[in-house]
Amino acid sequence: MKGIVFAFLAGAFITLQGVANARISDAIGTWQAATLTQLTGFVAAMLIFLFVRDGTAVQLKQVHPLYLMGGGLAAFVIFSNVTAIQHVGVTLTIASLLIAQLLFTFVIDGMGWFGVKKQKIRLPQIIGILLMAAGVVMLKM
Amino acid sequence: MAIGLFFAVAAGALVGMQNVFNSRVNERTGSWATTALVLGMGFAASLVMGLVFEGAGLFAPKPMEMWFWFSGLIGVGVVTCLVQGMKRLGPTFAVSIMMISQLSFALVWDTFGWMGLEKVPFTWQQLIGVLVIVSGIIVFKLGGAKEPNTETKTKRQAG
Repeated sequence: MKGIVFAFLAGAFITLQGVANARISDAIGTWQAATLTQLTGFVAAMLIFLFVRDGTAVQLKQVHPLYLMGGGLAAFVIFSNVTAIQHVGVTLTIASLLIAQLLFTFVIDGMGWFGVKKQKIRLPQIIGILLMAAGVVMLKM
Repeated sequence: MAIGLFFAVAAGALVGMQNVFNSRVNERTGSWATTALVLGMGFAASLVMGLVFEGAGLFAPKPMEMWFWFSGLIGVGVVTCLVQGMKRLGPTFAVSIMMISQLSFALVWDTFGWMGLEKVPFTWQQLIGVLVIVSGIIVFKLGGAKEPNTETKTKRQAG
């Protein structure tokens, strides 16, 4: 039960984050909003890290540099997310975002890109994506 | 409309890719070390892009509201809740619930126009659309899944 509450809150926070970014962007500009929220988030995460110390520089050296830079994609994620929310609203943005996310992950898994263990494409995944696409069409009809 | 959908799809693909990269980092080190690194990289990239597009104008004084300074903490809330949720439910189930909650909140948000957002009037058709998407997520995530896939291993959105 507690786990469900946590997972539910995580989803609520992600939506809240998108809306907050859109609002801040309206007031001060999108790149400013991205820079500010990533900076304050970084400071907070760093403080927690200094307290829990759950990693070392040696561990990070074992990771391919490309993967270490993955966080940088957030700049483009925030820009795209905010632009989409401003144009089509929150529901359609999140719905399309989730489909693209699952579809792209599905392709990564199927192709075995980025050192991911190649996985067989399963029918339920195809049905799931088709259902989601049908849902988005209904949202916009 | 087309522009909005294009950016939403771009964001989704980037999030999917970022999750894979982040989980590669998280395999070697702890959740908070990963989160701090991810957000630090996000800050650096945003700063560079801001400077590229706006130059010194990036730092021009703007009408700031108090809460702008704290909204970055939402990301910390996401990580905390997700890590706790996955610990108790496993990644596949936790991420499914998270996605469903994300989408449901979006519909509620549009309906009420909270935080000065433009209201999108609620229609039954919208609710049905969301429910169909939710069923799609459930089928995709839980339909005959034996092993967790990459996306569900570590799900972290630093956006």
